[in-house]
Amino acid sequence: MENIEKNSNLKVHESAEELYHEAPCGYISFTNTGIIYNLNATLLNWLGYKREEIIDVVKVQDLFTIGGKIFFETHFFPLIRIQGFANEINFEIRKKDRTTFPALINVKEIKGSTIENNIYLATIFDIADRKKYEQELLKSKQRAEKATRAKADFLATISHEIRTPLNAILGIGNLLSNTSLNARQREYTEILKISSGNLLSLVNNLLDLSKLEAQQMKLEKKSFSIQTLIDSLIHTFELKCKEKGVELSAELDSDIPDYVTGDPIKLNQVLTNLIGNAIKFTSEGYIRLVVHLMEIDSNYIDLEFRVIDTGIGIPKDKLDTIFQEFSQASYDTNLEIGGTGLGLSISQKLLELHDSKISVKSQTGIGSEFSFQIQYKVYDSANAKARQIFEHLDSDDLDSVRVLVVEDNPVNIFIISEYLKEWQIKFDTARNGKKAIEAVKSTKYNVILMDLNMPILNGFDAALEIRNLKLKDQPAILALSATSRENVQSQLDRVGINDFISKPFGPDDLYKVLSHYIKTRPNMPITIRSEEELQDSADLACNNTASSEKSFDLSRFVKMTLNKPEFLRKFVLNTAESFKDYLNDFRIATDQKKPDGIADLIHKSTMSVYYIQSNKIVELLRECQELLENKDCDQADLQIKINKTEEEFKRIIDGLNETDFDVLIPSDNSDHK
Amino acid sequence: MSTPNNQEVLKRNNVSVKGKGNRPIIFAHGYGCDQNMWRYVFPAFLDDYKVILFDHVGAGNSEESYYNKEKYDSLQGYADDILEICHALDLKDVILVGHSVSAMIAVLAANSNPAIFSNIIMVGPSPCYINNNGYKGGFEQEDIEQLIEALESNYLGWASQMAPVIMGNEEKPELGEELTNSFCRTNPEIAKHFARVTFYGDNRDDLKKLKTPTLIIQCQQDVIAPLEVGEYVYNNTENSSFRIINATGHCPNLSAPEATIEAIKTYLEEAD
Repeated sequence: MENIEKNSNLKVHESAEELYHEAPCGYISFTNTGIIYNLNATLLNWLGYKREEIIDVVKVQDLFTIGGKIFFETHFFPLIRIQGFANEINFEIRKKDRTTFPALINVKEIKGSTIENNIYLATIFDIADRKKYEQELLKSKQRAEKATRAKADFLATISHEIRTPLNAILGIGNLLSNTSLNARQREYTEILKISSGNLLSLVNNLLDLSKLEAQQMKLEKKSFSIQTLIDSLIHTFELKCKEKGVELSAELDSDIPDYVTGDPIKLNQVLTNLIGNAIKFTSEGYIRLVVHLMEIDSNYIDLEFRVIDTGIGIPKDKLDTIFQEFSQASYDTNLEIGGTGLGLSISQKLLELHDSKISVKSQTGIGSEFSFQIQYKVYDSANAKARQIFEHLDSDDLDSVRVLVVEDNPVNIFIISEYLKEWQIKFDTARNGKKAIEAVKSTKYNVILMDLNMPILNGFDAALEIRNLKLKDQPAILALSATSRENVQSQLDRVGINDFISKPFGPDDLYKVLSHYIKTRPNMPITIRSEEELQDSADLACNNTASSEKSFDLSRFVKMTLNKPEFLRKFVLNTAESFKDYLNDFRIATDQKKPDGIADLIHKSTMSVYYIQSNKIVELLRECQELLENKDCDQADLQIKINKTEEEFKRIIDGLNETDFDVLIPSDNSDHK
Repeated sequence: MSTPNNQEVLKRNNVSVKGKGNRPIIFAHGYGCDQNMWRYVFPAFLDDYKVILFDHVGAGNSEESYYNKEKYDSLQGYADDILEICHALDLKDVILVGHSVSAMIAVLAANSNPAIFSNIIMVGPSPCYINNNGYKGGFEQEDIEQLIEALESNYLGWASQMAPVIMGNEEKPELGEELTNSFCRTNPEIAKHFARVTFYGDNRDDLKKLKTPTLIIQCQQDVIAPLEVGEYVYNNTENSSFRIINATGHCPNLSAPEATIEAIKTYLEEAD
């Protein structure tokens, strides 16, 4: 009883002053100039000063270390003055004995009649313990970040390493399926092809993901047509949906402008993923892609994309996790439906680059809706000029214009066809170089759009052959390629290709070049080259003659065959056949990026090379092999080297086939036998 | 990166133009803050001047996306921005007021294009913060490293913890939206880089090239720019006047706005 009474007496007698001085935190008050005019006993005790050593003598900033002083002057004081308070600012506080302790400071400004009369009240908390934990946490965070980076690097490396042999498996699978097979073998090769294809897309996804995580992916700024992009998407998926009996449709607001500026490839990737997913999870009903114009001003356009399906839906508790890597709504999903569980995660990250994200609404058994918004720049008018020039072409001009599209990829054919239809240009298509030559022989074309990489006969060879036809009206030949122009410029010049459009291209890119060549039609094909370029091509020409002289030498053969023309002919033609096979082997090896394949080829061709002394081809093959062995080699360099080697092969094969035996072994010589 | 157009420049630096007068006066904020620094000063100029306020790239509500380490690796990058703002607003006969590091940024701007500036007003200038070879800037290299450390530890406890406090600041609605987005959004990496560029800079030679008439406003007690540094600036700048005002600390524009306004106005009246 007595004790309690005593305690309550104590409480009653505890004054505000006692509370102030004995509080478990520091209190300090200072003026507008920082001069300390009051502080509590707790803080004095922490600092080790006597009261009179501080009051009216020391400024609050003098209690800080030098870095803290600068911080006080440049950040802390302005902040208090601007907003009237500052909370939880961390300072190192210096004690009288020059040691320091970390503190958190809260300050409040009490306004006086003038700014000079303002006063500032602050609390100070000693956070030495907390600071230690904080340091530890910081270290752990740094360690974790480092480990994550190392993992991402590892992922990128291993994905790259897997891709190389995987390409070989895919390639061989394709080659195998082209041989004669029985039904069972065909089924096996199909499985082989599908599985290796799936594995390749997984590995490609992993590479994308590691690039995204390493923040190596950047947004492109190209003008493109939303309508065309959507059309080609629908076109891509149409067949698949038909097979499944699911309806696929797209709805675009009619007021969406024809062209916008942004990154069409990333948009395509996201929509491909969403539509692909919708198809996977929908077995009846429909899939609908809706593009809605949210807002537009003179600079920006906001679009909303929605992919709606009537599929199996996603349970509520799984909605958050579907965007995580390697996660699908259920383990069974993976078994039944397939897929890597990376697509959504990649799409989400691609949208993050656009400051956007995917929202999802779903009901199990009814369907799902994935949506996102993207802001694009409005297509700028400078580019639109190209289009105007084009539109101003007389309809007479257009009437007589005919374009040939040479391209093996059906989606690309579809896209270009859509553009040309829109511009009311008449056109034909050819699926490879050979078909193109046939078409050129029978129809007059003003412009040929030529893909460079095609089966059977590539764009370079096709262009060369077309030029060699010596047509009365030479068409303008415009190359379409994903390689950079610099890499192929000398080849373009050599085969007489007038211009180059880099893939992927937007409608305006195509407009510009096409309209230019249609306008300058009567003067075709004149390419103006700078002095330097002329010099370059002169050098190239010299090299060509020099190298073609050196490509092979039949003198050793002539000796070997003892001047018997019939033997020589047989030898030479057999060698030409062998080189055709070597060329084929070379192509397989380079397609599959297999340096070993080239090593085998060098070995295999040793005798033939020896007979016709074609040392240059061996040199080139070695260089290719070296480049292929070097994982880090520049792909463009490699491609140039491969092209050079192919040219050399062709030079040898053509040279051998065109051998004039009578010159090598004059007939009077044979008479003397 | 291509050069931004006028519209983009104004957006990049969060430029605001106020006032009824014709003669332009630009207020450039120093290290550690943004245009809010001038909130107690600029209203006194609205009647007679065209007042231009802006945020350096990386500060306040500037467009952080324009930040690039190469451009802003010297104060010239910031000076070029001021010239672009002048160009975008088609300003001539400009009075440029620079606080703290912006005093040197103003020197660089005026040296690059003297024709457009009529007067420079430096508030708490220092051409070189670090002592060297008999020159007394007031700091040693280690001091600046300590500041960087202070910045690092404060962004730990500050950026994350301050943001919600400032964002949810309902008692002081007059602070307006510029505040809710200012300090808390400063990118720590930019703040650290700007600190290095500011405190390791040496613009003593640039000072000697300055021809534009200049006022130097010096506070009585300023750790960042002590009196002898102010005197050095005065002695090494042609056409300069020196004014010590009754204020302590490095930010008289916040701690003694009246005295700051009076010093600027008196100088401008005498100059005219």
